[in-house]
Amino acid sequence: MTKIIIDGKEYDLDPNLTLLQACEAAGKEIPRFCFHERLSIAGNCRMCLVEVRMGGRPGPKPVASCAQQLRDLPPVKEGQPLHEIVTGSPTVKKAREGVMEFLLINHPLDCPICDQGGECDLQDQAMAYGHDKLERFKENKRAVTEKNMGPLVKTIMTRCIHCTRCVRFAAEVAGVDEIGAIGRGEDMEITTYLEKAVTSELSGNIIDLCPVGALTSKPYAFNARPWELKKIESIDVMDALGANIRIDARGREVMRILPRNNDDVNEEWISDKTRFVWDGLKRQRLDRPYVRKDGKLTEADWPEAFAAIAARFATTKPERMAAIVGDLADAESIKALKDLMTALGVVNLDCRQDGAKIGLAPDGTRGPRAGYLFNSGIASVEAADALLLIGTNPRMEAPVLNARIRKAWLRGNLNIARLGPPADLNYPVCELGNNPADLIAIADGRHAAFETLKSAKHPMLIIGMGALARPDGAAVLAACAKIASATGMIGPEGEAGWNGFNLLHTAAARVAALDLGFLPGQGGRDTAGIVAGAGKGEIDTLFLLGADEIDTRALGKAFVIYLGSHGDKGAHRADIILPGAAYTEKPGTYVNIEGRVQRANRASFPPGEAKEDWTILRALSEVLGRKLPYDSLAQLREAMASDAPHVAQLDKAPGFPPADPAIWRAIGTAGPIDNAHPFVYPISDFYLTNPIARASATLAECSRSSAGRPLASAAE
Amino acid sequence: MRLLGRLFQLLFTWWNGATIGTLWTISRTGQLVGEDEQGNRYYQQRGGSRRWVVYNGYADASRVPPEWHPWLHHTLKEPPTLAPPKVKPWEKEHVPNMTGTPFAYRPPGSLAGTGARARGTGDYEAWKP
Repeated sequence: MTKIIIDGKEYDLDPNLTLLQACEAAGKEIPRFCFHERLSIAGNCRMCLVEVRMGGRPGPKPVASCAQQLRDLPPVKEGQPLHEIVTGSPTVKKAREGVMEFLLINHPLDCPICDQGGECDLQDQAMAYGHDKLERFKENKRAVTEKNMGPLVKTIMTRCIHCTRCVRFAAEVAGVDEIGAIGRGEDMEITTYLEKAVTSELSGNIIDLCPVGALTSKPYAFNARPWELKKIESIDVMDALGANIRIDARGREVMRILPRNNDDVNEEWISDKTRFVWDGLKRQRLDRPYVRKDGKLTEADWPEAFAAIAARFATTKPERMAAIVGDLADAESIKALKDLMTALGVVNLDCRQDGAKIGLAPDGTRGPRAGYLFNSGIASVEAADALLLIGTNPRMEAPVLNARIRKAWLRGNLNIARLGPPADLNYPVCELGNNPADLIAIADGRHAAFETLKSAKHPMLIIGMGALARPDGAAVLAACAKIASATGMIGPEGEAGWNGFNLLHTAAARVAALDLGFLPGQGGRDTAGIVAGAGKGEIDTLFLLGADEIDTRALGKAFVIYLGSHGDKGAHRADIILPGAAYTEKPGTYVNIEGRVQRANRASFPPGEAKEDWTILRALSEVLGRKLPYDSLAQLREAMASDAPHVAQLDKAPGFPPADPAIWRAIGTAGPIDNAHPFVYPISDFYLTNPIARASATLAECSRSSAGRPLASAAE
Repeated sequence: MRLLGRLFQLLFTWWNGATIGTLWTISRTGQLVGEDEQGNRYYQQRGGSRRWVVYNGYADASRVPPEWHPWLHHTLKEPPTLAPPKVKPWEKEHVPNMTGTPFAYRPPGSLAGTGARARGTGDYEAWKP
């Protein structure tokens, strides 16, 4: 620890802190533009100047506080007073005013038409730290041509103050060296060199990083002002990571989505799909019930739709009914649907639309929770020193997690290997080929990767749905569990407090549904069995809770009830459509990959006659004569908590499960692995993975441009 | 009786034609320059620079047609009687400001107009089967 005086008061601080962080720890506000805690230090805006007095004498010149650490200060001489940082002296004030004046020389005065207006660092700091006699420059301001950065990021480069946050983000966090600065001094320009979109799934974050209005959101351009927006803290459902988001709504319209800081989950990044999906919330909405009459879907009211369902259910035997939960469902509606189906005696239930062989023990009972979680926790990725990716492409399946892996790799002590088809992850990976049977070789110690994992202190597996959503998925899972226990990732041989057995889900609803046991009961069918059964006429009635990723054309003559928010494949096939709420329109509980339970809040109300999903199921249960025992969300959550107690523990990862070897034998089913079929990644188009994303025009444009097709030039 | 009414207007109202003082000044120093389609008469001060309009009826500045407007405001030297402006084929007839009259413009949704408002489309696009 280092003793230092900050503005007359003595503090004892970590010598690794920068002067700026030390001042913040002392409660002093230091203005800054280029400094950002999650990026490297550039020290080029000079806004954070402070005065450092050494030995009681005034410093020779102001110091950029972001670029100097406490330990960089010379040692205090015997008998001399401690070094002092002064943040409010006339020298500092004058220095800040001078820097601000230089920044404003070339900054346009277009705040009234600038989208950053109201949330602009330059505006705020000019008010707080600038001075009011800025009339000595009569010269013309410089102008910079606009750059094309694709369909997401709008550029007004004249406003750029060259903080280089976007350049550092692209190079360090996103891992694409596609933004850079050319020219020097007044001629410096930030550019993508080739006038093209940044090929990163995280590119939207440079909009948040930009302290001025040089990089703004293209879909949000001129739509709203920050002060007229209602800000709601919520949870993202575009991937299974459960990124913390803030939804900004005006009236009942969602205007934009921003990240919220959560060091354990998403730090402060979100993927482009999360950020720009909001226009999908306004299109293709199911806003009234529909009933199919004479082969055509016709508008209906709620009692009519319920009566049609009741008539159908009265004549169907429970073993000829089935229900499938989709990827975006909240835990409340999953619980309500499970209770309703259980009351009706239905056992053909499944939440694994992709057919992943998880959640069930070899004897068909529910498997241990550790068998389907990202056990190490997301933040612990940074502690890992050996990582084996099995049939997963984290860049597509969870881009923010991929940034975390890259961060760990950048620190230099992470060995990454992959069993699966090649794909660019923005960090180098040792390719082990794509022979699924190699897993057994690794588990038996006959493969080089075994030694690497065994000798590592914190080894880690990430198993993707590409490895598990296949007929021999249970055998793959069992082989992975064996690798985990054999290499000491868990259990008595491994280090206490470490569990590197991680599954990476692609669906936000999956872990909650597995926790609540939305799985085939005794003698029940799984998704593939339900779809095949419907095609063969063995399943008569099928209830889809937002399930669109199954093959809806193979459902034969089954009577399909679809409860969801968007008109997608499921709604097209449905015989009865019940309009539900999208994730921004209901208070819901979601469980992310690491088992962290998070609550989403309502930002706006569902459109038209649509209702929150669980209330629809509750109303339907009464019509069916199987009234669900809860009348309010609180009662439903209580019932959920008594069913699965951990679902009541909010925002807490479960931690490492007990090192019981018996658990690891109950994961998956040991068996032969089909080497003839290599692993295939579950996501082929990152931007169009769910019904909301497929309704979004912005993401459709991204999908087009990322596929290498020419950009529509109408945008700018 | 009509004559008496006109005399009353002349003496006590300022919004019909010109006031009695203006008429007195014009009759002393003014010289008639011309008359427009609406019957408004335009005068100029003899040997001076002042220009007047005497409205034919209600005194409303927007009744001055565009050809007389620049002369009246000293934008042009020559009155349209001497230098008639070119009339383009697409030019519309001059209409005075109709605000406050039954001929005022009403937007399509105005309650004072047809009262029939186009139905709101909502802030979302509904899915149609």
